[in-house]
Amino acid sequence: MLVIKELQVSFGELIVLKGINLELKKGKVLAVVGESGAGKTTLGLSIMGLSPGKCAGQILFKGKDILALSEEERRLIRGKEIAMVFQNVEDALHPLYPVVDQVMEALLIHGIKDKKAAQRKAMDLLKAFGLSEERTHFFPHQLSGGEKQRVLLAMALANEPEVLILDEPTASLDAITRAEIIKLLKKVIRDKMVLLITHDLSVAAKLAHRVAVLYGGRVVESGATQNIFTFPRHPYTRGLLRSYPNMTTVKDLQGIPGPPYKPVDGCPFHPRCTQRVELCFREVPELKSLGDRYLACHRGGIIPLLEIKALSKSFNGVRAVREVELTLYEGETLALVGESGSGKTTLALTIMGLLPPDKGEIWLEGQKVLLRDKGFYQRVQMIFQNPKESLSHRMNVLELVKEPLDVQGWGSEEEKLERVRKVLEEVELPADDFFLRKYPHELSGGEAQRVAIARALVLDPKLLIADEPTSALDASIQAKILKLLLSLQEKRGLAMLFITHDIALARKVSDRLAVMKDGCIVEEGPASEVITHPKHPYTRTLLRLAADLKEEISISSMDA
Amino acid sequence: MHVDYWQEIREDRLGRIGLYLILLLALLAALAPFLAPYPPEARVGAAFSPPSSRHWLGTNDVGQDIWSCLLYGARTSLVVGCGAGLLAGTISVLVGTSSALVGGFYDSLCMRVVDALLVIPPVLLAILVGAYFKPHLLTLVLLLAAFLWPGGARIIRAEALSLKEKKSVAAARTFGAGSLYIMARHIVPDLGPVWLAVMIQDARRAIFMEAGLSFLGVCDPTLHSWGRMMQQALEFTYLEVWKWWLLPPGLALSLTVAALSFLSFALERILNPRLRGEREDAGH
Repeated sequence: MLVIKELQVSFGELIVLKGINLELKKGKVLAVVGESGAGKTTLGLSIMGLSPGKCAGQILFKGKDILALSEEERRLIRGKEIAMVFQNVEDALHPLYPVVDQVMEALLIHGIKDKKAAQRKAMDLLKAFGLSEERTHFFPHQLSGGEKQRVLLAMALANEPEVLILDEPTASLDAITRAEIIKLLKKVIRDKMVLLITHDLSVAAKLAHRVAVLYGGRVVESGATQNIFTFPRHPYTRGLLRSYPNMTTVKDLQGIPGPPYKPVDGCPFHPRCTQRVELCFREVPELKSLGDRYLACHRGGIIPLLEIKALSKSFNGVRAVREVELTLYEGETLALVGESGSGKTTLALTIMGLLPPDKGEIWLEGQKVLLRDKGFYQRVQMIFQNPKESLSHRMNVLELVKEPLDVQGWGSEEEKLERVRKVLEEVELPADDFFLRKYPHELSGGEAQRVAIARALVLDPKLLIADEPTSALDASIQAKILKLLLSLQEKRGLAMLFITHDIALARKVSDRLAVMKDGCIVEEGPASEVITHPKHPYTRTLLRLAADLKEEISISSMDA
Repeated sequence: MHVDYWQEIREDRLGRIGLYLILLLALLAALAPFLAPYPPEARVGAAFSPPSSRHWLGTNDVGQDIWSCLLYGARTSLVVGCGAGLLAGTISVLVGTSSALVGGFYDSLCMRVVDALLVIPPVLLAILVGAYFKPHLLTLVLLLAAFLWPGGARIIRAEALSLKEKKSVAAARTFGAGSLYIMARHIVPDLGPVWLAVMIQDARRAIFMEAGLSFLGVCDPTLHSWGRMMQQALEFTYLEVWKWWLLPPGLALSLTVAALSFLSFALERILNPRLRGEREDAGH
């Protein structure tokens, strides 16, 4: 077992890694993921005792602290007991020697004295790693990237080390080669302690048992791979997953706001975090156990913004909403999908307080909503189904967008005007005087929709309930408006309850999906999961009937 | 829905007639001191003079110029009509919108009061009240408004109830707006045309009731009023004088009431979309 305790690495004033506590166990793979510059490679090099920086803390291997050993003692361990596959395939091999000689060299350094035997072993090893016999005598430049990676792996594993550190083992490889390398890795690392350093989440998902997410030199979240990737709790982890193109998640790609890490006080992620509080500026959160994972966040991870508990509503005995339970997290989109009449809009109106619930509770940011005052509406806003109807025909654009500010008694007239112009620009509408004086009947459908969105956003809410926000629009305008909402979500951490009957649309915008039928939530889960493995027959029907560009019509196969 | 009510009224034939008649009457009433050849109470000629170039409509039993009385009577009618209409209309809007918006017990209470007032025959009560108070102009306006507002309040409440369901009102609520804001900013502006119709209706009834009360002699006797003129003329129907004394105020009253009826008829046609559809130029 290899244990890293309170590791800190610094280059002069700059602290690159801080307070790292990790364990490598036999036969287990720990992946360290994060953006470039997070300190992943430094971590690998520190374990090897190769880090050029100043290391503090302990790295315990077989009872010995690697950091306390002399350079001579470290040299004996390096390559023999702890081996590393370096990041850059091109530079790690010597260009003037055939690859087999280079593998042989690794064997000769540690133990084997007979050159012939060493060469034979090197050859066997390379063959076992998938290189054909004649290619073992090639020079590095004659090999492909994948083959070089195999050579490097063979070199690292030549002395059968107990600990293997893989630094971006699949970077710059094409998909097929990458798959072969991953397959090979799975075979050869079976009984080793492996630290996998990668920014490629797919590799981590395939190889690692546990994942540690590194940001700004600190572990922000760690736990079992499946847990972390399915339900990320740290905003940074979620950001990583959202910006990673892959075939599992179905939502459109979203980045993480703000520039990459720069040293700051307090939580390293706070400049880019959308749910930061005052505490995050001052104090570094500790990595604490949360049962299934470790998490470093003052707010306990992504906070549940809206919690709906056993909410029911009926009209004249018709139960429109039945015992609905939903949780909406900060900065995520929860799509509520169902046919018309399934109670989606009733649910939205009940949340907004436009309809009194019969039963159940609504919690906002951890507090039960008892009274819907101006403070509530400042945080929760709604875009109504038919945008034009929600705009009073007697008000011009300026008055319309200013109305929420007027109601809330926000700022002076000049400040309001400035805010209106800013929000109009945000929703990509003109903010000139001519446009401000237009009345709703002079606006196109798309413009009216944007004005409605601007009205909902002008108070800078944390939660937006969007009730079929694009049902009245052309697909092209719909696409633009959804892009806009998603970019606002990325920028502001806006949480959205996205109500739609269109599951194809929901798939593109939502992190999680809830399917509603006859007032009940019949299925709920990560959007990708619901789309690929629908459990409820109604979900399957919705999916079968969703828009596609195929010729056949699947209505005949509808469930009775 | 943007409707230019003014334009629509002028395009409607009846509406146009009503409008011009009212304008003419208002002009005559306003300019009465200049148009009237004599002060209405002055005895300027022999009693019962027939119409002549000096006295266009002759004189009455005490030698007052009937044309002058008629002009000044128009003032009373219009002031009472406009005043009572405006006041009753305003009370209607206040009561109607507030009970529509607040709802619950307050709504039931208001509507029961309205019902109670509606079942009382207003003319009868006005006579009773008038007989004891001998109301002057202002009291008369207050009295009439008190009887007229309940009908309007019902109409306004119904309209406000439907306006309340508009999405724009729901949107305003989701910004945290209270009932007062919604009433002032969203409901009342949209009530404008209905309010106008209610007021015209009230004005018509007020004018009629004022004339009735004066005719019965329960009003302040110094008030120059068409109703009073008719009451006085009625005593002398055995003389020729009724032709120029009794007929003109009756005709003027009928014209005024008819003009207001035309106006409210035209307004109703404009406001009711189902009636709008029958217009030849529908789809404008």
